[in-house]
Amino acid sequence: MADQRTVRRTAGIVAGLLIALVFLLVIVPGALAIGLKLLGIIDASYARSALRLTVPIAFAGMGGIFAEKSGVINIGLEGLLIISAFSAIAVMWFIGGGGAGARIVALFGGVLASLVVTLLFAIICIEFKADQIVAGLAVWLIALGFAPFGSIVIWETVNSDSVGSFDPLAVPLLSEVPYVGEVLFTATPPVYLMLAAVPFSWYLLNRTAFGKHLQASGEDPKTLDTAGVSVRKVRYMGVLLSGLYCGIGGAGLALNAGQFVGGGETITSGRGWIGLTTYLIANYNPVGAFLASFGFAGLDALQLQIQRVPGVELSSTLIEIIPYAAVLVVLAFVGKTRMPESAGEHYESED
Amino acid sequence: MSDQRGVRAGNEGRESKYAVKMDGITKRFPGVVANDDVDFAVERGTVHALVGENGAGKTTLMNILYGLYEPTEGTVHVDGVPREFDSPRDAMDAGIGMIHQHFMLIEPMTVAENVVLGAEPTKLFGLLTDEDAAVEVTRDLAEKYGFDIDPTDRIRETSVGEQQRVEILKALYRGAETLILDEPTAVLTPQEVEGLYGMFDELLGEGKTIIFITHKLGEALRAADRISVLRDGELIATVRADETTREDLASMMVGRDVLFDVSSEAVERGGATLAVEDLVVDDDRGIRAVDGVSFSIEDGEVFGVAGVDGNGQAELVEALTGLRSATSGTITFDGEDVTDHSRRQRIADGMSYVAEDRQHRSLVMEYDLLRNGLLGCQRLPAFSNGPLVDWEATGQYVDDVLEQYDVRPPDRSALARSLSGGNQQKLVVGREFERDPSLVVAAQPTRGVDIGSIEFIHNRLLDLRAEGTAILLVSSKLEEVQRLSDRMAVMYDGRFMDVVDPDEVTEEEVGLLMAGQHPDGGAGDR
Repeated sequence: MADQRTVRRTAGIVAGLLIALVFLLVIVPGALAIGLKLLGIIDASYARSALRLTVPIAFAGMGGIFAEKSGVINIGLEGLLIISAFSAIAVMWFIGGGGAGARIVALFGGVLASLVVTLLFAIICIEFKADQIVAGLAVWLIALGFAPFGSIVIWETVNSDSVGSFDPLAVPLLSEVPYVGEVLFTATPPVYLMLAAVPFSWYLLNRTAFGKHLQASGEDPKTLDTAGVSVRKVRYMGVLLSGLYCGIGGAGLALNAGQFVGGGETITSGRGWIGLTTYLIANYNPVGAFLASFGFAGLDALQLQIQRVPGVELSSTLIEIIPYAAVLVVLAFVGKTRMPESAGEHYESED
Repeated sequence: MSDQRGVRAGNEGRESKYAVKMDGITKRFPGVVANDDVDFAVERGTVHALVGENGAGKTTLMNILYGLYEPTEGTVHVDGVPREFDSPRDAMDAGIGMIHQHFMLIEPMTVAENVVLGAEPTKLFGLLTDEDAAVEVTRDLAEKYGFDIDPTDRIRETSVGEQQRVEILKALYRGAETLILDEPTAVLTPQEVEGLYGMFDELLGEGKTIIFITHKLGEALRAADRISVLRDGELIATVRADETTREDLASMMVGRDVLFDVSSEAVERGGATLAVEDLVVDDDRGIRAVDGVSFSIEDGEVFGVAGVDGNGQAELVEALTGLRSATSGTITFDGEDVTDHSRRQRIADGMSYVAEDRQHRSLVMEYDLLRNGLLGCQRLPAFSNGPLVDWEATGQYVDDVLEQYDVRPPDRSALARSLSGGNQQKLVVGREFERDPSLVVAAQPTRGVDIGSIEFIHNRLLDLRAEGTAILLVSSKLEEVQRLSDRMAVMYDGRFMDVVDPDEVTEEEVGLLMAGQHPDGGAGDR
């Protein structure tokens, strides 16, 4: 019941943003004509690219839920995306292209790299009781420095060579359905993984014993401990799941593009941070986090399309503010986001 | 009664008549012996009370039985079988269940989810939890023991009494044969306490064994078959409840005779020191916590506020002491409207405050006693020298407090952290009482304090009263409020249900008021 509420709420927020956009188009002189041109842009290819851009955001968002629900705030999501994006491309480059099999191996490479870094983060937070925020920031900053450095070592520049990307895989029959088939069933493997991960995450959180333990660990670890479940194990699992998800998200992003870009904010360009906002907006519901991710990715894709419309100048940096503004609005005014009671606190078993 | 139970259990032909037998238990922590060669045995099918002052080692002993601590020496037998517990899970497997003083429940989850937490029934080969089975099993257990509870309620929507029942169900679900309850009555109204005793009977009827920890002697005498007294980590005696008296138990606990009657002599009254008109206060979530309360306290009067915790007492106290702003209403202190005065102004006006949570509100645990003795007074002329603190005057003041209030150790350079709860509280009480206040707001002044210190603090409160100080005493210990107050208000859901004469009213009547009902049968006005 509460889940439906958050899904509705997230859908409402996304719809609200779109309405606000339409409203802007109507009141700003001359915007309507431009708006109509924009409508022409919103076709299947636009939706497909929006869905592709959703991959890193949604995986970071859903992964972050697992960590935070267990009581460990993982704000290193962005860093994990960078690490796995870079590693996936590097693996791809070393095996030297090849078929779809090579891309799958590269995906695994990215996930593995993300998991290794996440494990370190988890050990530092759980065993050594480091401040989770500081450790998370360290993950990001290290990734931000290491990935371009690795690029220079391998390719002599911060950007990698182009190594080839995932081709869309058409699902037989279903891909024939007009529009929906083109968008949902003619997609790349990371997109399919994402579409499968949404219900999987929801079930894992809400319908399994592990999900209950995760929630208990974040709310009141002592209670879980006295119930005979190891808080340490549950927290490790929660954090490692966030690493697994970020691994798929980052590798998926890079392999969809076929290249690692190491300049500035790197290829991820803050999508991990946006992922963090999506689950706050969605009050830790993976379905809601996915919807919010799709909304923000849609804006991002729109912004790319707008650049191509003659006579329209829209600042891309302005569009990038929207997710953060939205999360502030939600936290301040909608106010239903409730962090797990013990998130961010260390737990020490009494013996 | 107790004999019958013992015989009935014995006839079932189990190996040992003792459900639990602990021999020669010693537990040492660095620098402390918490349990010293304790022999403790509980007969199956009986209620056994474990009494003692704070720090006497009751909880340590039970934590050993529950597998939270390993004993330094000694053995534990459950049903005649020697056991070594490495974790609560081992103890649970042996049929020991513990209901902690602070409930171990996950607030956003339902009753059923909490009951099965850590041992969830599953379906689809263990892939998914079986929510229906969890509800079913909880409902069955509740019916078997006659507990009135809905398994689908969320914990945060249930009352404290219900939460306690959930805790008991949790233990029963895990197959507990022996239940340990740590201070089970601390948070209940008198009626809920009676309900708890009723549950004891149901549980005994099913052959369970109950151990409960308490420092309230009346409860031990009322509910237990046998009573064991711990003092300074040693087991002083185990006696039959029907063969002992409150006075005997008290002297065993404290090691000397205790006077239960604190004499409160009539005092000549002056005008109203504090007058509160229609005070409305919201809590942190913006929910009305105090909803239109009016009262006044005269010089030399103790005005008591009784009630179950969480009915607005904390917010009332915070509004009076200036820690929380009032939404509406006025507070008049010594004839002056202080509603908008800051905390510092109110201290300067002569308002003293003994906070409910001494470790967070009254003391800085990492400060020494000297600085803690100054806390809050640093701006008063007596303790300052221009913009600087007058450490000499402070030192004298703190030494006086340490001596007069028998704070141990009387060493002003000791850290507050190193003191026991009772000594911390004596320091706070001394600091607040000795600065010659015209009003003392004392919130739960004896919570978590040993009997000796309670007696002392009560006497000091009455001394202040005799000196003409107005005192607001807020406590969830009904006995305390009733004994010390000149007038007593009962607070429920943000309002005063009634203001009564503590000498005239019965515990039963107060209990109904605490539960929001007027004794004549009418429900509260909300």
